[in-house]
Amino acid sequence: MRTRLPVIICGVFGVFMAAQYFITAEPVTAMYRAVLDWMQIIFVCALLVGILNVILRQLKSAARPGPDRVYAGIALFGIALMVVLGFGWGIGRGSAFLWVFNNVQAPMQTTVFSLLAFYVASAAYRGFRARHFESALLIAAALIILLGRVPIGEMISSHVPAVVSWVLNVPAVAAKRAILIGIGLGMTATAIKVIAGLERAYLGSRTR
Amino acid sequence: MRFDRRYIFLAIAVAVAVPMLFPIGLPVAVTDETRQVYDRIENLAPGDVVMFSFDHEASSLPEVRPLAEAVLTHCFRRGVKVIGLALFAEGAAVGYDILKDVGEREDKTYGEDYLYLGYRPQYSAAILGMGESIAEVFPADYDQTPYEELPLGQRVKSYADIELVVSVADGSLPTYWVEYAQARYGQRIVAALTAVMVTAYNPYLEAGQLDGILGGLKGAAEYEKLLGQPAAGTRGMDAQSLAHLTIAILIILGNIIAFARWRRGKSGKEGDA
Amino acid sequence: MSLTGGVKRLTAIIGAVALAAMPKTAFAADWFAVERTPELVAVIICTIVVLIAVLTARNRKFYVRPLPGLEAIDDALGRSTEMGAPVMYITGWGGDLARPTTMASLAILSSVAEKSAAFGTPILFPSHDPVIVSAAQDTIREGYTSAGRPDLYRADDITFVTQSQLGYAAAVDGMMARRKPGAVFLLGTFEGEALILAETAHSVGAVQIGGTDSTIQLSFFLVACDYTLIGEELFAASGYISGDPLILGAVRGQDILKIIIVATLVIGVVLGLFGNDLISGWLN
Repeated sequence: MRTRLPVIICGVFGVFMAAQYFITAEPVTAMYRAVLDWMQIIFVCALLVGILNVILRQLKSAARPGPDRVYAGIALFGIALMVVLGFGWGIGRGSAFLWVFNNVQAPMQTTVFSLLAFYVASAAYRGFRARHFESALLIAAALIILLGRVPIGEMISSHVPAVVSWVLNVPAVAAKRAILIGIGLGMTATAIKVIAGLERAYLGSRTR
Repeated sequence: MRFDRRYIFLAIAVAVAVPMLFPIGLPVAVTDETRQVYDRIENLAPGDVVMFSFDHEASSLPEVRPLAEAVLTHCFRRGVKVIGLALFAEGAAVGYDILKDVGEREDKTYGEDYLYLGYRPQYSAAILGMGESIAEVFPADYDQTPYEELPLGQRVKSYADIELVVSVADGSLPTYWVEYAQARYGQRIVAALTAVMVTAYNPYLEAGQLDGILGGLKGAAEYEKLLGQPAAGTRGMDAQSLAHLTIAILIILGNIIAFARWRRGKSGKEGDA
Repeated sequence: MSLTGGVKRLTAIIGAVALAAMPKTAFAADWFAVERTPELVAVIICTIVVLIAVLTARNRKFYVRPLPGLEAIDDALGRSTEMGAPVMYITGWGGDLARPTTMASLAILSSVAEKSAAFGTPILFPSHDPVIVSAAQDTIREGYTSAGRPDLYRADDITFVTQSQLGYAAAVDGMMARRKPGAVFLLGTFEGEALILAETAHSVGAVQIGGTDSTIQLSFFLVACDYTLIGEELFAASGYISGDPLILGAVRGQDILKIIIVATLVIGVVLGLFGNDLISGWLN
């Protein structure tokens, strides 16, 4: 019963969500709207559980001696600060909440995002090796795209942007479509297995 | 010889920082992709409604803000009405800021010329829900004014009243817009993306599921050129150009080192023999 | 993409084939979306093919092409055990539990949990989605129990971190730097955080096994990870690891559908070369 009921619910709603796509009758559309509302409600409840989970874990870490203690303290302070600012003075334009968001959180996140520039360079240096003809071809394409996507490409030759466009829109799209068809098939098969109750790993149960 | 990757990091830092401090002013040529988006907005009639979905996090702001500002400026100058929203929690405050800034700069009235709905969780449900009724998904705007009390809210009920959706994104959200709003409700969509995501969406553009793609700082710089108003996108082009050049040099350098090592190993073996 | 999203994307291609054959007036009732008839036909074809392939798979043996990324799992777990380090499993920031890719990843997690428990090595599972955390807790607990090591389970190791993409990347990077996992599994739907996580895993000396349905991040995994599962291999992985004939049957169903699609495309191209737009017209 522990897994049977969720499997039945999943199967019923899976079939309903697939069927409603083809049915325009009002009762079905109304039910579909109700399902969408419930999806949001369930997600917000799960989010609350998640936030509680984070707070409890950080409290535990803060109570334990060790290097994590400082990080946990900062995390708890951050959570408390944003809650107090948000509920106390609102989140609109000119609020302290928005100021902290724009001037503390956004720059910190942008900093992490900017790591990509360094990691792309490091991974490209390490990963792009002309070991055989195909990988040499890949490197040639990478170099053309790298230079052709910025004004330097146009300065080298006026044909470079056209070549870049062709590489991106013809061979790259062809390869992507082939991969996407494979992925689409995988998703289709997984979805059917889940709806049919054959795949239950998401419930902590083995397949049957 | 093995390269300490910190040298690579240093090279990239220099390549990005130097042109920021001493601009080179590399010329920007407009590509067909950017012109396609520009023409799409240019062909809208005054009074048409465009929905701007800020589907990104604060982290990608330096790249997506110039894109959003360029297209928003164009919309407002064409007399197009704008409804903004966010499908990521972090995009909520960021989108509000961008929309208000551009709206005020272009002398537009909140509620009549543009409005901002804020954030809703569960993007798939939110996108689908707006096809039925925007007011049900967003009963009030970001400032908690009931949606249907706002002049623009009174005339825009669902996708049926929206000419175009512009998804300003740093990830997979445009896919959801295509799969739910375009496939189910026939909503036309344009994606304004970080450069890294552009190639992922080319198949959608080729298939006609997207009306256009505007990509990265270069896309913003090209759009600014079409608008005749150089801004952040144009300023960032020099840094991006040098960063690309540095990565290209690193790839070549890595292969030269690998080739030299392979040659040395080979001659060593021959010497042993 | 929702559970039905994958079906819709793919089956639009197959379904279009049936469009011209459909007597539209027969379906023109106001409760049915007539224009979606081809997709309905495609959904039915896909469902029938996959279910028949699955249900006829009992007691059959299948050959599955060796996938180096999956064959490396035992070595990666063994290496972690030797180092006394945990294993880290990440399903990516881009997916939720409604996404088939996440479900496929949890199916692999189930096998990885069982194997790692047999080695006595704990799994760290940081996630951006509280619903995925809840499912992963059940999956890992079940895997540990199946291997006879329920004592290994610690709820604190399987935890929600934050919904913020780069906040998540920073938190997971911090965990990697402090806990130094011996192996990092990056299997699921990834976005901009993919390369940051893969490079950090590389810098702490972990074996990285990556796999994603995101074509853009796939290119990053290919240059940054030790082993990469490309596209559909991720969906075949759980059957490959477990040897479960039902799952392998579904993989066979995928292959049959692939043959149907390729045949349709080839016929369409040949007809197109002779000026006949029968299939390309349907697809449009």
